[in-house]
Amino acid sequence: MHGEYKMPGGKLVVIDLDVRDGHLANVQLSGDFFLEPDTALYMINAALDGQPADAGKAMLAACLLDALPADVMMYGVSPEAIAVAVGRALQWDSHA
Amino acid sequence: MMRTDWRDHDWQLIHTTPQSPTLHMALDDVLTHEVGAGRRAPTLRIWEWAAPAVVIGRFQSLRNEVDAAAAQRHDIQVVRRVSGGGAMFIEPGNTITYSIYAPLSLVKDMSFQEAYAFLDAWVLQALGELGIKAWYQPLNDITSEGGKIAGAAQTHRGGAVLHHVTMAYDIDATKMLDVLRIGREKLSDKGTTSAAKRVDPLRSQTGLPREAVIAQMIATFRRLHGLHDDRLRPDELADAEALARNKFSSAAWLADVP
Repeated sequence: MHGEYKMPGGKLVVIDLDVRDGHLANVQLSGDFFLEPDTALYMINAALDGQPADAGKAMLAACLLDALPADVMMYGVSPEAIAVAVGRALQWDSHA
Repeated sequence: MMRTDWRDHDWQLIHTTPQSPTLHMALDDVLTHEVGAGRRAPTLRIWEWAAPAVVIGRFQSLRNEVDAAAAQRHDIQVVRRVSGGGAMFIEPGNTITYSIYAPLSLVKDMSFQEAYAFLDAWVLQALGELGIKAWYQPLNDITSEGGKIAGAAQTHRGGAVLHHVTMAYDIDATKMLDVLRIGREKLSDKGTTSAAKRVDPLRSQTGLPREAVIAQMIATFRRLHGLHDDRLRPDELADAEALARNKFSSAAWLADVP
């Protein structure tokens, strides 16, 4: 499944994922944003893998904040924007 | 670490004969580390392209961004760079690309937004001297009344900041849209439905040859910040050639974000 979200004032945030037994699997974040260090991308994918597919945006954003070391810097992307893109991939709300 | 200013550094210029897309990716990697390690003075590098390319950002999905069949049909190589940001469509002679390799002290305590504008202030001045009123549009674009002129990207590594910019000099928008997949969501807050209309190249805005635009940029940088003519050291070139071969040409790196 595929979801895209243009973060207001930010960049394009894209999520590709599968759902297996009610949980997120093979989560892949991509987009034209900036992340330092670049390995934070793998941490974000790993943090989302296995989350319940009905977790909701607030819970997913909180789980990303927990998983990322304090020195990770984001520009044009945020935990909330990533959670919105996940929600779009899962079609939580077709009007979102 | 103390904050430094442009004039605290002995700026070097590298502007060589055309090089392959993968070698350009590798040179950015190597020269950033050389400046970060203190083995090279802060440097401005002007790129010359030996072949057409699509350069995708560090975090972009290869299949979402590029129509591989169209790229192959047009004989365009696809490469992934070390910095984030969006895809660039390159044809030799159609773009002006440059990199700045600087110690982190130059952008110390700046927000990302401030650092982008700070490192390109000299370019806005050079464009002004060419009669183009251009400004920084956050997060990472240089734009004008006619439309977008350039996109910038930064990354921090090994104690240095890499800031590189691709400016549109001329553009084959039809070919670009054939090769790049530019989605509707991306354009949703840009106020236009046509990706081609978003870019207004320097050729139509200045009426000048590409070389004259580059000469003005170099002259402005030299006047504002000081600039000595330099060249790649043999060990830098050898390191970059090895990295171009082993990393930046590899399918694993290109498809790191599939």
